[in-house]
Amino acid sequence: MTNFGKVISVIEEIIQILILLIIIATAIMAVSFKDLLAAVISLAATSLLLSLEFYILQAPDVAIAEAGIGAALTTAIFILAIKGTVRREEL
Amino acid sequence: MMSKIVRTITNILYSSILIFGFYIIMHGHLTPGGGFQGGAVVASGIALVLIAYGYDTVKSWMKKSNLSVLESIGALGFIGIAFLGIGTTFFYNFLANSGGLFGDPTVIGINPGNLDTSGVLPLMNWAVGLKVLAGLGSVVLLMAYGIRKGDEE
Amino acid sequence: MRKYVLLAALLIVSGFMLLSAVDMHPFGSPDREDMDKYFINNAQEEVSANNVVTSIVFDYRGFDTLGEATVLFTAVVGVSLIFRRLIK
Repeated sequence: MTNFGKVISVIEEIIQILILLIIIATAIMAVSFKDLLAAVISLAATSLLLSLEFYILQAPDVAIAEAGIGAALTTAIFILAIKGTVRREEL
Repeated sequence: MMSKIVRTITNILYSSILIFGFYIIMHGHLTPGGGFQGGAVVASGIALVLIAYGYDTVKSWMKKSNLSVLESIGALGFIGIAFLGIGTTFFYNFLANSGGLFGDPTVIGINPGNLDTSGVLPLMNWAVGLKVLAGLGSVVLLMAYGIRKGDEE
Repeated sequence: MRKYVLLAALLIVSGFMLLSAVDMHPFGSPDREDMDKYFINNAQEEVSANNVVTSIVFDYRGFDTLGEATVLFTAVVGVSLIFRRLIK
Protein backbone atom coordinates (compact mmCIF):
# COMPACT_ATOMS: atom_id res chain seq x y z
CA MET A 1 0.00 0.00 0.00
CA THR A 2 2.76 2.43 0.91
CA ASN A 3 4.60 1.46 -2.25
CA PHE A 4 1.52 2.31 -4.30
CA GLY A 5 1.21 5.70 -2.57
CA LYS A 6 4.84 6.46 -3.29
CA VAL A 7 4.37 5.71 -6.99
CA ILE A 8 1.29 7.97 -7.06
CA SER A 9 3.18 10.85 -5.43
CA VAL A 10 6.08 10.49 -7.89
CA ILE A 11 3.65 10.57 -10.83
CA GLU A 12 1.99 13.66 -9.35
CA GLU A 13 5.32 15.43 -9.05
CA ILE A 14 6.22 14.61 -12.66
CA ILE A 15 2.84 15.99 -13.82
CA GLN A 16 3.41 19.18 -11.82
CA ILE A 17 6.86 19.74 -13.32
CA LEU A 18 5.48 19.15 -16.84
CA ILE A 19 2.64 21.63 -16.27
CA LEU A 20 5.01 24.29 -14.94
CA LEU A 21 7.33 23.85 -17.94
CA ILE A 22 4.40 24.19 -20.38
CA ILE A 23 3.24 27.31 -18.46
CA ILE A 24 6.66 28.91 -18.97
CA ALA A 25 6.66 27.92 -22.66
CA THR A 26 3.21 29.41 -23.31
CA ALA A 27 4.15 32.60 -21.44
CA ILE A 28 7.23 33.04 -23.65
CA MET A 29 5.05 32.37 -26.71
CA ALA A 30 2.58 35.03 -25.54
CA VAL A 31 5.37 37.61 -25.36
CA SER A 32 7.06 36.72 -28.63
CA PHE A 33 4.13 36.34 -31.05
CA LYS A 34 3.62 39.15 -33.56
CA ASP A 35 0.05 38.07 -34.29
CA LEU A 36 -1.85 39.51 -31.33
CA LEU A 37 -4.74 37.03 -31.52
CA ALA A 38 -2.32 34.12 -31.19
CA ALA A 39 -0.65 35.87 -28.26
CA VAL A 40 -4.02 36.26 -26.50
CA ILE A 41 -4.83 32.58 -27.08
CA SER A 42 -1.51 31.48 -25.60
CA LEU A 43 -2.13 33.78 -22.59
CA ALA A 44 -5.46 31.98 -22.11
CA ALA A 45 -3.63 28.64 -22.29
CA THR A 46 -1.26 29.89 -19.56
CA SER A 47 -4.20 30.77 -17.30
CA LEU A 48 -5.92 27.44 -17.93
CA LEU A 49 -2.79 25.43 -17.10
CA LEU A 50 -2.28 27.60 -14.00
CA SER A 51 -5.79 26.74 -12.84
CA LEU A 52 -5.00 23.05 -13.42
CA GLU A 53 -1.94 23.46 -11.25
CA PHE A 54 -4.06 25.09 -8.51
CA TYR A 55 -6.42 22.12 -8.71
CA ILE A 56 -3.55 19.65 -8.31
CA LEU A 57 -2.37 21.62 -5.26
CA GLN A 58 -5.89 21.05 -3.79
CA ALA A 59 -7.26 24.60 -4.02
CA PRO A 60 -10.40 24.16 -6.19
CA ASP A 61 -11.79 27.56 -5.15
CA VAL A 62 -8.82 29.40 -6.59
CA ALA A 63 -8.89 27.12 -9.63
CA ILE A 64 -12.49 28.06 -10.48
CA ALA A 65 -11.79 31.77 -9.98
CA GLU A 66 -8.66 31.59 -12.15
CA ALA A 67 -10.44 29.68 -14.92
CA GLY A 68 -13.37 32.12 -14.91
CA ILE A 69 -11.49 35.39 -14.68
CA GLY A 70 -8.09 34.63 -16.19
CA ALA A 71 -8.95 32.23 -18.96
CA ALA A 72 -12.38 33.46 -20.06
CA LEU A 73 -13.06 37.10 -19.19
CA THR A 74 -9.58 38.49 -19.83
CA THR A 75 -9.50 36.72 -23.21
CA ALA A 76 -12.91 38.17 -24.07
CA ILE A 77 -11.81 41.70 -23.19
CA PHE A 78 -8.56 41.34 -25.18
CA ILE A 79 -10.45 39.99 -28.21
CA LEU A 80 -12.84 42.96 -28.02
CA ALA A 81 -9.82 45.29 -27.92
CA ILE A 82 -8.26 43.56 -30.95
CA LYS A 83 -11.58 43.91 -32.82
CA GLY A 84 -11.49 47.63 -32.09
CA THR A 85 -7.86 48.13 -33.18
CA VAL A 86 -5.45 46.23 -35.46
CA ARG A 87 -4.49 42.57 -35.33
CA ARG A 88 -0.83 42.70 -36.33
CA GLU A 89 1.77 44.20 -34.05
CA GLU A 90 3.61 47.04 -35.81
CA LEU A 91 7.34 47.26 -35.31
CA MET B 1 -20.22 38.61 -35.51
CA MET B 2 -17.67 35.82 -35.60
CA SER B 3 -17.35 32.86 -37.99
CA LYS B 4 -19.80 29.95 -38.20
CA ILE B 5 -17.58 27.61 -36.14
CA VAL B 6 -17.57 29.96 -33.16
CA ARG B 7 -21.33 30.51 -33.37
CA THR B 8 -22.09 26.75 -33.49
CA ILE B 9 -19.88 26.01 -30.49
CA THR B 10 -21.49 28.91 -28.64
CA ASN B 11 -24.98 27.53 -29.32
CA ILE B 12 -23.93 24.21 -27.82
CA LEU B 13 -22.00 25.52 -24.84
CA TYR B 14 -23.57 28.66 -23.43
CA SER B 15 -26.55 27.09 -21.66
CA SER B 16 -24.24 24.60 -19.94
CA ILE B 17 -21.94 27.42 -18.81
CA LEU B 18 -24.84 29.42 -17.35
CA ILE B 19 -26.26 26.38 -15.53
CA PHE B 20 -22.83 25.49 -14.14
CA GLY B 21 -22.34 29.03 -12.85
CA PHE B 22 -25.73 29.12 -11.12
CA TYR B 23 -24.98 25.69 -9.64
CA ILE B 24 -21.73 27.00 -8.18
CA ILE B 25 -23.56 29.97 -6.65
CA MET B 26 -26.39 27.86 -5.24
CA HIS B 27 -24.18 25.16 -3.71
CA GLY B 28 -21.53 27.60 -2.47
CA HIS B 29 -21.79 26.43 1.13
CA LEU B 30 -21.42 22.74 0.28
CA THR B 31 -19.02 22.36 -2.64
CA PRO B 32 -15.95 24.34 -3.73
CA GLY B 33 -16.79 27.74 -5.12
CA GLY B 34 -19.06 30.49 -3.96
CA GLY B 35 -20.62 33.74 -5.04
CA PHE B 36 -17.57 35.31 -6.66
CA GLN B 37 -16.52 32.22 -8.61
CA GLY B 38 -20.03 31.42 -9.84
CA GLY B 39 -20.64 35.02 -10.88
CA ALA B 40 -17.39 35.02 -12.83
CA VAL B 41 -18.40 31.82 -14.64
CA VAL B 42 -21.83 33.26 -15.58
CA ALA B 43 -20.20 36.49 -16.74
CA SER B 44 -17.79 34.48 -18.91
CA GLY B 45 -20.82 32.83 -20.54
CA ILE B 46 -22.27 36.29 -21.25
CA ALA B 47 -18.93 37.36 -22.72
CA LEU B 48 -18.87 34.25 -24.95
CA VAL B 49 -22.30 35.07 -26.42
CA LEU B 50 -21.31 38.71 -26.79
CA ILE B 51 -18.13 37.90 -28.73
CA ALA B 52 -19.79 35.31 -30.95
CA TYR B 53 -22.88 37.32 -31.91
CA GLY B 54 -21.89 40.97 -31.54
CA TYR B 55 -23.48 43.76 -29.54
CA ASP B 56 -26.61 44.29 -31.62
CA THR B 57 -27.94 40.76 -31.09
CA VAL B 58 -27.27 40.70 -27.36
CA LYS B 59 -28.79 44.17 -26.85
CA SER B 60 -32.29 42.82 -27.51
CA TRP B 61 -32.29 40.36 -24.58
CA MET B 62 -30.01 42.05 -22.07
CA LYS B 63 -29.96 45.73 -21.23
CA LYS B 64 -27.20 47.53 -19.41
CA SER B 65 -29.63 49.40 -17.15
CA ASN B 66 -31.15 46.09 -15.95
CA LEU B 67 -27.66 44.86 -15.09
CA SER B 68 -26.98 48.05 -13.10
CA VAL B 69 -30.19 47.50 -11.12
CA LEU B 70 -29.15 43.89 -10.48
CA GLU B 71 -25.73 44.94 -9.25
CA SER B 72 -27.22 47.49 -6.87
CA ILE B 73 -29.65 44.87 -5.55
CA GLY B 74 -26.72 42.51 -4.92
CA ALA B 75 -24.62 45.08 -3.06
CA LEU B 76 -27.52 46.39 -0.96
CA GLY B 77 -28.62 42.84 -0.14
CA PHE B 78 -25.12 41.92 1.01
CA ILE B 79 -24.81 44.93 3.32
CA GLY B 80 -28.42 44.51 4.48
CA ILE B 81 -27.91 40.87 5.48
CA ALA B 82 -24.74 41.93 7.27
CA PHE B 83 -26.69 44.62 9.17
CA LEU B 84 -29.45 42.18 10.18
CA GLY B 85 -27.09 40.50 12.64
CA ILE B 86 -26.09 43.74 14.31
CA GLY B 87 -27.78 42.67 17.55
CA THR B 88 -24.55 40.81 18.28
CA THR B 89 -21.97 42.04 15.78
CA PHE B 90 -21.78 43.18 12.19
CA PHE B 91 -21.72 40.07 9.91
CA TYR B 92 -23.12 37.87 12.72
CA ASN B 93 -24.55 34.60 11.42
CA PHE B 94 -27.92 34.86 13.15
CA LEU B 95 -29.66 32.11 11.16
CA ALA B 96 -27.22 29.24 11.77
CA ASN B 97 -28.50 26.38 13.97
CA SER B 98 -31.72 28.30 14.69
CA GLY B 99 -34.15 25.87 13.07
CA GLY B 100 -35.68 28.42 10.72
CA LEU B 101 -34.70 29.25 7.15
CA PHE B 102 -31.40 27.50 6.30
CA GLY B 103 -31.18 26.67 9.99
CA ASP B 104 -30.70 22.90 10.21
CA PRO B 105 -27.67 21.82 12.23
CA THR B 106 -25.12 20.03 10.08
CA VAL B 107 -23.54 16.66 10.80
CA ILE B 108 -20.04 17.01 12.21
CA GLY B 109 -17.48 15.17 10.10
CA ILE B 110 -17.54 13.98 6.52
CA ASN B 111 -21.09 14.00 5.16
CA PRO B 112 -22.75 14.40 1.75
CA GLY B 113 -24.25 17.75 2.73
CA ASN B 114 -27.67 19.26 3.27
CA LEU B 115 -28.79 22.28 1.26
CA ASP B 116 -30.83 23.66 4.16
CA THR B 117 -27.90 24.43 6.49
CA SER B 118 -25.43 27.20 7.30
CA GLY B 119 -27.57 30.25 8.04
CA VAL B 120 -26.99 33.43 6.08
CA LEU B 121 -24.24 31.98 3.87
CA PRO B 122 -26.51 30.96 0.93
CA LEU B 123 -28.23 34.37 0.99
CA MET B 124 -24.87 36.14 0.94
CA ASN B 125 -23.71 33.81 -1.84
CA TRP B 126 -26.71 34.82 -3.94
CA ALA B 127 -26.17 38.51 -3.22
CA VAL B 128 -22.46 38.46 -4.09
CA GLY B 129 -23.13 36.21 -7.08
CA LEU B 130 -25.70 38.62 -8.53
CA LYS B 131 -23.34 41.52 -7.89
CA VAL B 132 -20.32 39.94 -9.59
CA LEU B 133 -22.43 38.63 -12.50
CA ALA B 134 -23.97 42.03 -13.18
CA GLY B 135 -20.71 43.95 -12.61
CA LEU B 136 -18.48 41.90 -14.91
CA GLY B 137 -21.28 41.50 -17.48
CA SER B 138 -21.87 45.25 -17.67
CA VAL B 139 -18.11 45.85 -18.02
CA VAL B 140 -17.93 43.54 -21.05
CA LEU B 141 -21.18 44.96 -22.45
CA LEU B 142 -19.92 48.55 -22.17
CA MET B 143 -16.66 47.65 -23.88
CA ALA B 144 -18.55 45.98 -26.75
CA TYR B 145 -20.67 49.12 -27.08
CA GLY B 146 -17.50 51.22 -27.39
CA ILE B 147 -16.13 48.91 -30.10
CA ARG B 148 -19.37 49.17 -32.08
CA LYS B 149 -19.27 52.96 -32.01
CA GLY B 150 -15.65 52.85 -33.17
CA ASP B 151 -16.70 50.69 -36.13
CA GLU B 152 -19.31 53.15 -37.33
CA GLU B 153 -17.12 56.24 -37.42
CA MET C 1 23.70 49.25 -22.19
CA ARG C 2 20.00 48.40 -22.05
CA LYS C 3 20.81 44.72 -22.51
CA TYR C 4 23.17 44.72 -19.55
CA VAL C 5 20.59 46.43 -17.31
CA LEU C 6 17.96 43.85 -18.30
CA LEU C 7 20.40 40.97 -17.70
CA ALA C 8 21.30 42.35 -14.26
CA ALA C 9 17.62 42.74 -13.34
CA LEU C 10 16.85 39.19 -14.49
CA LEU C 11 19.77 37.78 -12.50
CA ILE C 12 18.82 39.69 -9.34
CA VAL C 13 15.15 38.68 -9.48
CA SER C 14 15.88 35.02 -10.21
CA GLY C 15 18.53 35.01 -7.47
CA PHE C 16 16.00 36.26 -4.91
CA MET C 17 13.45 33.68 -6.07
CA LEU C 18 15.96 30.81 -5.86
CA LEU C 19 17.07 32.02 -2.40
CA SER C 20 13.49 31.96 -1.12
CA ALA C 21 12.82 28.60 -2.80
CA VAL C 22 15.76 26.98 -0.99
CA ASP C 23 14.48 28.31 2.35
CA MET C 24 10.86 27.21 1.87
CA HIS C 25 8.80 25.13 4.28
CA PRO C 26 7.79 21.62 3.29
CA PHE C 27 4.41 21.65 1.55
CA GLY C 28 1.41 21.65 3.87
CA SER C 29 3.14 22.43 7.17
CA PRO C 30 3.03 26.16 7.93
CA ASP C 31 4.91 27.97 10.68
CA ARG C 32 1.96 29.17 12.75
CA GLU C 33 -1.04 26.87 12.74
CA ASP C 34 -3.17 27.81 15.77
CA MET C 35 -5.71 29.73 13.66
CA ASP C 36 -5.85 26.99 11.01
CA LYS C 37 -6.47 24.32 13.62
CA TYR C 38 -9.25 26.42 15.19
CA PHE C 39 -11.00 26.95 11.84
CA ILE C 40 -10.69 23.31 10.78
CA ASN C 41 -11.94 21.96 14.11
CA ASN C 42 -14.74 24.43 14.92
CA ALA C 43 -16.02 25.94 11.66
CA GLN C 44 -18.39 23.11 10.80
CA GLU C 45 -20.01 23.29 14.24
CA GLU C 46 -20.25 27.08 14.58
CA VAL C 47 -21.32 28.10 11.07
CA SER C 48 -22.87 24.70 10.22
CA ALA C 49 -21.53 24.81 6.65
CA ASN C 50 -19.64 21.97 5.03
CA ASN C 51 -17.40 24.27 3.00
CA VAL C 52 -14.92 25.73 5.46
CA VAL C 53 -13.47 28.15 2.89
CA THR C 54 -16.86 29.78 2.29
CA SER C 55 -17.55 29.96 6.02
CA ILE C 56 -14.28 31.86 6.47
CA VAL C 57 -14.89 34.17 3.50
CA PHE C 58 -18.48 35.10 4.39
CA ASP C 59 -18.60 34.70 8.17
CA TYR C 60 -15.29 34.93 10.00
CA ARG C 61 -13.73 37.40 7.55
CA GLY C 62 -16.82 39.16 6.25
CA PHE C 63 -15.20 42.59 6.16
CA ASP C 64 -12.68 41.30 3.64
CA THR C 65 -15.48 40.29 1.28
CA LEU C 66 -17.14 43.69 1.79
CA GLY C 67 -13.90 45.38 0.70
CA GLU C 68 -13.62 43.12 -2.34
CA ALA C 69 -17.19 43.96 -3.34
CA THR C 70 -16.36 47.66 -2.99
CA VAL C 71 -13.32 47.25 -5.23
CA LEU C 72 -15.42 45.53 -7.90
CA PHE C 73 -18.09 48.25 -7.67
CA THR C 74 -15.44 50.96 -8.08
CA ALA C 75 -14.02 49.17 -11.14
CA VAL C 76 -17.46 48.98 -12.78
CA VAL C 77 -18.13 52.66 -12.04
CA GLY C 78 -14.76 53.60 -13.57
CA VAL C 79 -15.36 51.61 -16.76
CA SER C 80 -18.85 53.04 -17.22
CA LEU C 81 -17.49 56.57 -16.66
CA ILE C 82 -14.83 56.08 -19.35
CA PHE C 83 -17.18 54.55 -21.92
CA ARG C 84 -20.03 56.97 -21.18
CA ARG C 85 -18.32 59.53 -23.41
CA LEU C 86 -18.95 57.34 -26.44
CA ILE C 87 -22.73 57.42 -25.99
CA LYS C 88 -24.16 60.48 -27.68
